Amino acid sequence: MIYWELFVEFLRVGLFSFGGGHAALPFLYNISEFKQWYTIQQLTDMIAMGSVVPGAFGVNVAAFAGFSTAGVFGALIAVTALIAPSFIIAVAISGVLVKFKKNAYVIAIINVLKPVSCGLLAAVGAQIFVDSVNNLFGALLLGILLLIYFYRKRTPVFVLGVSAIAGLAAGLLQLI
Amino acid sequence: MFNKRGLFCHAKPAPAKRTMFRIFLTFARIGLMLFGGGNVVLPVAQKQLEGLVKPKQLCEFYAVARSLPGIVAPNFAALAGYKLGRLPGALAAVLGLVLPPVALIVLLAAGFDSIIYLKFVQSIFWGIGIGVVMLIFMGVQDIWETSVEDRFSFILFFAAFVMLAGFRVPPSAIVMMAIMFAVAMQMKSEEGAK
Repeated sequence: MIYWELFVEFLRVGLFSFGGGHAALPFLYNISEFKQWYTIQQLTDMIAMGSVVPGAFGVNVAAFAGFSTAGVFGALIAVTALIAPSFIIAVAISGVLVKFKKNAYVIAIINVLKPVSCGLLAAVGAQIFVDSVNNLFGALLLGILLLIYFYRKRTPVFVLGVSAIAGLAAGLLQLI
Repeated sequence: MFNKRGLFCHAKPAPAKRTMFRIFLTFARIGLMLFGGGNVVLPVAQKQLEGLVKPKQLCEFYAVARSLPGIVAPNFAALAGYKLGRLPGALAAVLGLVLPPVALIVLLAAGFDSIIYLKFVQSIFWGIGIGVVMLIFMGVQDIWETSVEDRFSFILFFAAFVMLAGFRVPPSAIVMMAIMFAVAMQMKSEEGAK
């Protein structure tokens, strides 16, 4: 049953994604590859939507992925399964927060997981790069975005706004 | 007759149901103020929860929320909500944080399917696809700055990258391996210290 599969997959995301922000993306990418519930192209659109809508990015993208897979109920199941594991852990440890934070094993695990989740995210970025930057104009646009970014850091909404306008212009001028 | 004292007494013990609803609303407001990812949850919450939870304690919640699995903002809401109203408080806080954005996403996603076939919308999303590459690059750089500091952490970064990009190892397996590796290392260093 699709709802059960969805629940199990997103439970896995909730249990194993560390590092906040974009940490859930490698898992969502993995789902798109092995389950074929949505394509990489769709995942890219989800990431864009998830960054523009307010709220926690990971939750937003998961809601979108759940919706694409199995409608409104799918979105609710995906979000519930995503949040449930860490919710239970958070409530369980809330009496011993300081002890938890200073535990040598917790610190050791976090220190290893940080660069690992960075590497996982870079792998997803490489995959979406291959998928999205499919012509010269795309490469040029990415180059311009990088230049702007190194000149001054910008918000995701700014980046997506510029690229949306560039895409529209490229479409009208039949460059793509 | 209402006197000052009577009013005061009436106002103080708030009924539990109402408190939960207030927690829900407060976190709904926090959720809708999170732009550009959940990482801004700390300053937003410090402002919205002023007088309810000490800023320093919120900092601590944030640090713990980051070291738990899952998404940081709901983890944070669970911890802060628990502090405000135990288990029901934690539930109210997480639901409040999550539900409004999810409702927005569902509405957008439902509308998305009916416009994506338009030619100019496809052009826009072609551009946005490039923007997303940029966003992920920014995300990688963000984590990189605080995590890849020496040769050891660079090797971990590179190993994870190759395993996922080159060999399609499921991320959950990679993370599990990393956890076991960290535990083994810690056990060894504790043995060495004895």
